[in-house]
Amino acid sequence: MSTGGQGESTAALRTQVGNQVIELDVQGMTCASCAARIEKKLNKLDGVQASVNYATEKAHVVVPAQLGADDLILTVQAAGYDAALPTPEAPPRDRAAEIKRRLLVSAVLAIPVIAMAMVPPLQFPGWQWVSLLLATPVVTWAAWPFHRSALVNLRHGASTMDTLISLGTSAAYLWSVIALVFGSAGEIGMTHQWSFSLERDHHLSAIYFEAAVGIITFILLGRYIEARSRQDASSALRALAEVGAKSVTRLRDGVEVTVPIDKLAVGDEFVVRPGEKVATDGEVVSGDSAVDNSVITGEALPVEVRAGSTVVGASVNTTGRLVVRATAVGADTQLAQIARLVELAQTGKSRSQALADKISGVFVPTVITIALVTGIGWLLAGQGATFAVTAAVSVLIISCPCALGLATPTALLAGSLRGSQLGILIRGPEALEEAHRIDTIAMDKTGTITAGQMSLDSVVPTKGGDEAELLAVAATLESASEHPIARAVVAAHNGPLGELTGFANVPGRGVRALVDRRPAAAGNAALMADLGLAVPGELIAAADEAARRGASVLLVALDDRIVGLLTVADRIAPNAAAAVTRLRELGLRTVMVTGDNQAAAEYVAAQVGIDEVRAEVLPSDKFAVVTQLQADGTHHVAMIGDGVNDAAALSQADLGIAMGSGTDAAIAASDLTLMRHDLMLAADAVQLSRRTLNTIRGNLFWAFIYNVAAIPIAASGYLNPMFAGAAMAFSSVFVVTNSLRLRGFRPTSSVNEVASS
Amino acid sequence: MITNYNVTGMTCGHCVAAVTEEVSAIPGVSEVKVELAGPMQVESTAEVDFAAVVAAVKEAGDYEVALA
Repeated sequence: MSTGGQGESTAALRTQVGNQVIELDVQGMTCASCAARIEKKLNKLDGVQASVNYATEKAHVVVPAQLGADDLILTVQAAGYDAALPTPEAPPRDRAAEIKRRLLVSAVLAIPVIAMAMVPPLQFPGWQWVSLLLATPVVTWAAWPFHRSALVNLRHGASTMDTLISLGTSAAYLWSVIALVFGSAGEIGMTHQWSFSLERDHHLSAIYFEAAVGIITFILLGRYIEARSRQDASSALRALAEVGAKSVTRLRDGVEVTVPIDKLAVGDEFVVRPGEKVATDGEVVSGDSAVDNSVITGEALPVEVRAGSTVVGASVNTTGRLVVRATAVGADTQLAQIARLVELAQTGKSRSQALADKISGVFVPTVITIALVTGIGWLLAGQGATFAVTAAVSVLIISCPCALGLATPTALLAGSLRGSQLGILIRGPEALEEAHRIDTIAMDKTGTITAGQMSLDSVVPTKGGDEAELLAVAATLESASEHPIARAVVAAHNGPLGELTGFANVPGRGVRALVDRRPAAAGNAALMADLGLAVPGELIAAADEAARRGASVLLVALDDRIVGLLTVADRIAPNAAAAVTRLRELGLRTVMVTGDNQAAAEYVAAQVGIDEVRAEVLPSDKFAVVTQLQADGTHHVAMIGDGVNDAAALSQADLGIAMGSGTDAAIAASDLTLMRHDLMLAADAVQLSRRTLNTIRGNLFWAFIYNVAAIPIAASGYLNPMFAGAAMAFSSVFVVTNSLRLRGFRPTSSVNEVASS
Repeated sequence: MITNYNVTGMTCGHCVAAVTEEVSAIPGVSEVKVELAGPMQVESTAEVDFAAVVAAVKEAGDYEVALA
């Protein structure tokens, strides 16, 4: 960096020291008034400017040099809350690796325990004591997450799948220990009889270590599969951070200096060269260009800008050099606001309870009741305490289905694999469980229903003119321009170009040149007015009609006469209409959300058969539209989008679906990603998720049914380890087989294709 | 002497604490009892200027106070 640059950065550093920005995590706020109160208290400190966000639990504070974070924290604490400096983003905890460790240890120890219990020839003298030794770390250490979660839930009086696992394995383990120590099971030479004979056990002669370790290993396997397939939520925010510019060419006193983006202050002027990202939100001071907002809005058509126009940070400058005065930096930019909305949507999102937990919530109290009734019943029947306790504990042991842990993950895994074959990436298990409840599907227009690229829409020559000739003149003129409209025109012309001389770009209006030495021009009505050319009456109607449906009009003049017009539009994607029809057949209400004007939006909606249109929605309001759709009679809403500005709406939606051609931020914020630009995949995804959820339901049925069927046997005191093992094996096989059937899933679209071919 | 007021706009215990704290700080006020539903009882040695109470409640947050 030059010496001048060093002087600059020292000055910037000084202002930074003089007025530093501190971010705090605030705890204990219970309502919006709390945030207002903390803000007030902080602002009372000399020279402090604070803003506190209740939803994100964060305070953004500008403080003078004499104050530090400690003073702020003390002030917040004095107001009755707590605050802390945000811990630098901790490396994301690798849940999968943590589970993997427990799974490996558990599996290695469980295999011999299960083998010895199920295969009598392996039952060497003293095998039961070796089983105890091997099972202990599994039941205590490997299963610790289940016990901990069960305890936490117990405190809230709730029971989940973890409660069932913890209860079943603890019962099996403790019972076996008691049988070893006090019963006949500890005698050297004890073996399990390989029989299903209904013989009542009065002597504490059987052990159930294999049931305990088997359940734990299987459940951990299921959890591992789940953790592997889950992506952490913060990736959306990271992707958003990637979108913005990292450095900026600041212009001060006519000198251009490249500085990191955070050195730029409001009011600074900066330069944006063609092809560069606009560094931050601002107002154009000088220069003419077209700015491509597609990264932010997904809109294909660049916006013409000149002095006085506003530009958005992270948009891309296309043709001309711009000088921009920054109007917002850092946390105040539109991009930062989108990031905050994404954060807000993600923290405020309450996922529905997992199905397995819901069932367990009812199942656990029922099983405990049955166990108690069994024990008390046998006591009253005069069978003696040992027998009564044996029967009661047997109920607890048999009630925890080993396949329970596999029911959800195997179905999700099979569903996800099938999805990726079809071109649908499924982010996490919640997505599939959520998708079946969807009754409304909102979609962005540009890039979702439309192709997201400008292409030639119509060619209208004046009376007596020739379409091909008109297109040839226009294509020749535009061949020297980089404007997307120009590229669409050139791409549509597949003949030889004329000779082009004296080319001139008229920013914001069009182009002029000599085509085969004849004066020619192509551009908007303003250009023609500048040239003093009147638009023929026959073209005015065509131009109006095109504008109504959102197409851009390009007037073409040759020999000082307007000879026709071309319209260029973002075309409707080939499959869109069929896909919308299918979505509606699946019982979904279809809603189009777009920033376009009402007429253009309705034109597209009518073309593809969309039920409802929400037009003229500001980029930042898509989020609000989704919230509104959800509140409207508590609907479950899926959102399909591709732009950065869709990210918040995608997070807020019950099911976010990103087009794979879309931005990273949109993909990261969504639950499903469609790998091809094909709306039909969205319908496939909804169908697949419904099928997957049905499979999960079926699996849970098979997981529970064998164990439920065995409960009466256990309650009557006839349970032996062989029964327990058989129930475990049967249900696991059924569950896995049932899940694998998902691999054969065919969406209706491909079924139709096969049928018609 | 005891004066009764009614405070509106409080939404949680923190609001109550904030109002209590600010009104207690008015010179001459010896005891303040605020309920979330609105009633506020202020015990003071002399009559408290209503404007001072309004200012204190405003200081506590976005609340309104009226004489009960």
